[in-house]
Amino acid sequence: MNNSKLGFINNNRRELGMLGLLIALIVITSWGTRESGVQALFESKFLSADNLKNISREIGIYGIFSIGVGIVIITAGIDLSVGSLMALLGVVFLYFVTPPETRPDSFLAKIIPEIPWLAAVLFTLLIGTAIGVFQGLLVGKLKLQAFIVTLCGLLSYRGLARFSADDTSINISDSSQNLEFLRFLGEGSLSDVLSNGNGSGFLHSIPMSFIYLLCFAIFFGVLLHKSVFGRYIFAAGRNELATKYSGINTNIVIAFAYVIAGFCTAFAAIPFCIYTGSVQPATHGAFFELYAIAAAVLGGCSLRGGEGSIIGILIGTAILIVLRNMVNLFGYPTPLSDAITGGVIFVGVLLDQHGASSIKRIFSKKPVSGN
Amino acid sequence: MKLKVTETILKSSLLAWITFLISCGGNNNNGNSGNTDSNDSGIKKIKLAFVTNATADFWSYGKAGAEKAASEHDDIEIEFKMGDGTAAKQREVCDALLVRGFKGIAISPPNPTGQQQMINDWAKKSQIITVDSDAPESDRLFYLGTNNVEAGRQAGELLKEALPNGGKVMAFVGVGDQANAVERYQGLKEAVAGTNIEILDLRTDEANIGKARRNAEDTLTKYPDLAGMVGLWAYNAPACLKAVKDKGVAGKVKIIAFDEEVETLKAIDTGEIHGTVVQQPYEFGYQAIKALRSIIIDNKTPQDLEIPDTKQKFIATKMIRKGEGAAYLKKCQEWKKGG
Amino acid sequence: MKTELEKPSFALSMRGVNKTFPGVKALTSVDFDISKGEVVALIGENGAGKSTLMNILGGVHQPDSGEIKVNDKIVTIKSVSQADSLGIGFVHQELNILDNLDVSANVYLGREPRKLGIIQKNIIAEKTNPFLKVLGLDISPDTPVAKLSIGQQQLVEIAKALSKEAKIIIMDEPTSSLTLSETDKLLNVISDLRDKGISIIYISHRLGEVSACADRVVALRDGENAGVLAKDEITHNRMVSLMVGRELERTTNTNGSKIDQSKGFETKDIITSTYPNNKVSFKISSGEILGMAGLVGAGRSEVAQTIFGVDPNLGGSVYIDGKEIKRGSAKASINSGIYLAPEDRKRTGLITQFDVSMNVSLASLEKHSNGLGIINNESEKITANQQIEKLNIKTPSAETPVINLSGGNQQKVVLGKWLSMNPKLLIFDEPTRGIDVGAKAEIYKLMRQLADKGVAILMISSDMEEVIGISDRIAVMHEGKITGILGRNEFTEENIMHLAVGGSSES
Repeated sequence: MNNSKLGFINNNRRELGMLGLLIALIVITSWGTRESGVQALFESKFLSADNLKNISREIGIYGIFSIGVGIVIITAGIDLSVGSLMALLGVVFLYFVTPPETRPDSFLAKIIPEIPWLAAVLFTLLIGTAIGVFQGLLVGKLKLQAFIVTLCGLLSYRGLARFSADDTSINISDSSQNLEFLRFLGEGSLSDVLSNGNGSGFLHSIPMSFIYLLCFAIFFGVLLHKSVFGRYIFAAGRNELATKYSGINTNIVIAFAYVIAGFCTAFAAIPFCIYTGSVQPATHGAFFELYAIAAAVLGGCSLRGGEGSIIGILIGTAILIVLRNMVNLFGYPTPLSDAITGGVIFVGVLLDQHGASSIKRIFSKKPVSGN
Repeated sequence: MKLKVTETILKSSLLAWITFLISCGGNNNNGNSGNTDSNDSGIKKIKLAFVTNATADFWSYGKAGAEKAASEHDDIEIEFKMGDGTAAKQREVCDALLVRGFKGIAISPPNPTGQQQMINDWAKKSQIITVDSDAPESDRLFYLGTNNVEAGRQAGELLKEALPNGGKVMAFVGVGDQANAVERYQGLKEAVAGTNIEILDLRTDEANIGKARRNAEDTLTKYPDLAGMVGLWAYNAPACLKAVKDKGVAGKVKIIAFDEEVETLKAIDTGEIHGTVVQQPYEFGYQAIKALRSIIIDNKTPQDLEIPDTKQKFIATKMIRKGEGAAYLKKCQEWKKGG
Repeated sequence: MKTELEKPSFALSMRGVNKTFPGVKALTSVDFDISKGEVVALIGENGAGKSTLMNILGGVHQPDSGEIKVNDKIVTIKSVSQADSLGIGFVHQELNILDNLDVSANVYLGREPRKLGIIQKNIIAEKTNPFLKVLGLDISPDTPVAKLSIGQQQLVEIAKALSKEAKIIIMDEPTSSLTLSETDKLLNVISDLRDKGISIIYISHRLGEVSACADRVVALRDGENAGVLAKDEITHNRMVSLMVGRELERTTNTNGSKIDQSKGFETKDIITSTYPNNKVSFKISSGEILGMAGLVGAGRSEVAQTIFGVDPNLGGSVYIDGKEIKRGSAKASINSGIYLAPEDRKRTGLITQFDVSMNVSLASLEKHSNGLGIINNESEKITANQQIEKLNIKTPSAETPVINLSGGNQQKVVLGKWLSMNPKLLIFDEPTRGIDVGAKAEIYKLMRQLADKGVAILMISSDMEEVIGISDRIAVMHEGKITGILGRNEFTEENIMHLAVGGSSES
């Protein structure tokens, strides 16, 4: 019994460590934002219903595409195209739901028809997945370097998005359809969806994007950690050649990771563009690929491949979002947010690679090991 | 041996980083603001915020104005937040401000039409006014900003002063169909209508500074008798000036500028640029905070504050002429320093 | 046993060296001496502590206690560069050669003579030449290393050590990827260096080489000194008994008794991408072990990889029990019962960070999963434990990452993967490379057992002793062609070498 407990701790060391970091951040933020007079942590601004709703909505959106990127990283690949793809898909999605006469004068605007929003959602998912297939084949089948393929994606999807939107912003409010329900699905809460916007109480604090994330996490968690395919993903990430020598078509396995990433990105792109209400193609989703990579790495994915877990990616995403929220709630200057994020990732990875003793060693006068 | 060096580097960089963070947090007197709801005298301060669309010098001046307004009252405290040009960032910042109980927020939305829905959501929880760029259909209380048609007219007045006998004039701008470009050009044409001044055309450069200068050079070549140039965006006039100097006609071809580029202000005092029309971001910041305070604390209505029924209040632009450049530059620098 | 006392002074002496790694006592009070101009072979099974001892000498690890003297002066060796400056050179088993650079650049890597930061190529070349001459390496210093054979690259490594004025050169398994003639050449070089007063510590599992070149043999067992043999005491059996602590029966051929000519494996005219002009055909009966000998680069591994389907199918056909099988991918071959235990276990045979059970099940996960593709961990583990028991894999549990196992046990995990399925043809590519004597014997026994169960076995090996001792027939390859197939009565080293260098079987 004791042994199996130790095994659990050993096997999930990274995840547990990062969970500790997340809890520490939550406690610090709660303490720092507690109401004066009322000393209880649980009545802090951080833990207020509004704030929890805000951050879980963001964790929902960021978590979904981070799962996609994390799976790619587990195959020892990388996906840099996420942010640009979100801009492109945002433009495409909004074109689908807005009448052609409101769109800027560009070639994509002319060929995309206006369709009901449900169909628009499905087509956007389809296009994102198709782009994933394209990148997957380039990386998996043609053996091009993932960094380069997705770097080209990063540049060209962004360019395509800006070109097709004529570098102006596309607004969801231009739509002539009744998008109220879509808005609930995108940025609303569970009770908004269930009671058509009249909800209140506990269910009102659960954003839909967070529910999507839970579904994604369960599905991809089972796929990655319980299924044969997931085992192949880890194996191909660890040692592609040896996996091939066991009769597994690693080309397909690796390609499929990019398909998953494309689908996840497309799925996150829709609530995100509803969240922002518009898509400014030059800046929409900028640097999201780096947030996703940071979340995955924080959560225990190794850029060398073959390591990582869905729960870790979720924890990594939560750390990033809570950090940003902390900077905002503490009233620190906004630009400092990225510096703090960078620092926490650095400390997290240092702790993870060398254990708590490394920090102790760095700051102790005498080296612990040595002669 | 090597390990020790590595350790030292690690140690010092980690320490430096932590020190940096602490000092940054410490400099900001709103750090841990959760605990600073009350000031030393025990009076509860109302929290107001100003959230910009992007980071720019323009907004440093706005910040100075907002801080000036805050310093005049001891019942408010303010935070000035610069955005990164995205609606997503602005939403993240404002959502957090609302959680922290800010009673009034002045925002400059980077994408007004697309943000209508979120502005309405914020307006349910707080007093919201828009500054510099407006979302007229939203539930914001009112808008504070520049009347660009009026600004264009002022440029026209400067042009009439510079060219009493009239002549051919070319206008330059980055993107011709952006709202402020259209309005400034319209005002310019209105002001010179009926005089001997002939506005030839509007040349655009897609916000490419290199192209802006080429446009100016080509115009000087094509129209040897050109009498004046008007740069509608901040960088246009300095680009015109370079072209004019290159051709050796500085001072002869009159240049009218917009905004407070350093080069522009310096050239005004030397007479190479006749004058510039500047917006009043300092006033944006100052008046926005003042207005929010009166609405929240003094229970004033927008009508009391003499906001017109259009719910849009314009802050007049200012003309800077020869002899005033250095003084204005100094003022800008003071604002930038946070004076 | 008292040889070391007869020598007056030692170039190097290690006394009472202890080293503990977390959880493992790697060395217990080990002594080791070598004098000027002596060749000492350091032998022992894998895990006996040879590498740890040499890594201590090379500055990679620090001992917990013990004393190291170089020329009677007590030294502490804290880093590789310090070992360099003490005149200790280390030629590793995995060559540290950068094959994008030329010979001289490799020899002077990190110590390039330069002027104003510009590397002075001529001077390097000039300085490199004498070392190449000493080693009998007749190449220009500006030859790209990529163009050299592995044997020549090995000599470049030695040149590198000599250029640092090494007085002691440690060679860790230097011949593991050398051909016979290259090995002979290396042994000559070693004796030349000895005559020049350089001491050499020679680590090898190939006891034939050890007896050919060593002046003295030092054996380690379980991290302790197991004994010393003077030159005239060095025999195969005595070395083995020092290493394993008992007299081990020398592998002798147990002739295939259950060969069934009517069944088995056959390949007709297959073509490999390395030698596209040559077609390879041969037959292995059910129950037969076909040894495949040849020099490195003869195309033996390529034949194996082409049959197994990881190399492209360029033509020809493959039959199992007379039926032609589908080819084109490893999957297709595996489905027909053709399995490969590849040459480079860590690169292609195993996912070393995966545990034993995950490696064993990797090729047969369909069997351990339900219709939705969800893995049944129980059934996976049961199979893994069966293989651990059957193959006597020494591992703490099925959940131990294979990287923690010794080479022999790793090889058994590779076999476990295939034996949990249904082999018809099992190809072993260098099955005992880097494996110690005890585990070798087990693997040989296993091969024979499998053959007796009706599996056809193809064993590619560069170890002459092994090929002759194990095979029922031997096919010899030269430059992509089979130059001859020898029956048992023709098994001699001379016959094999004759074919391996391209002679035909008629002469």
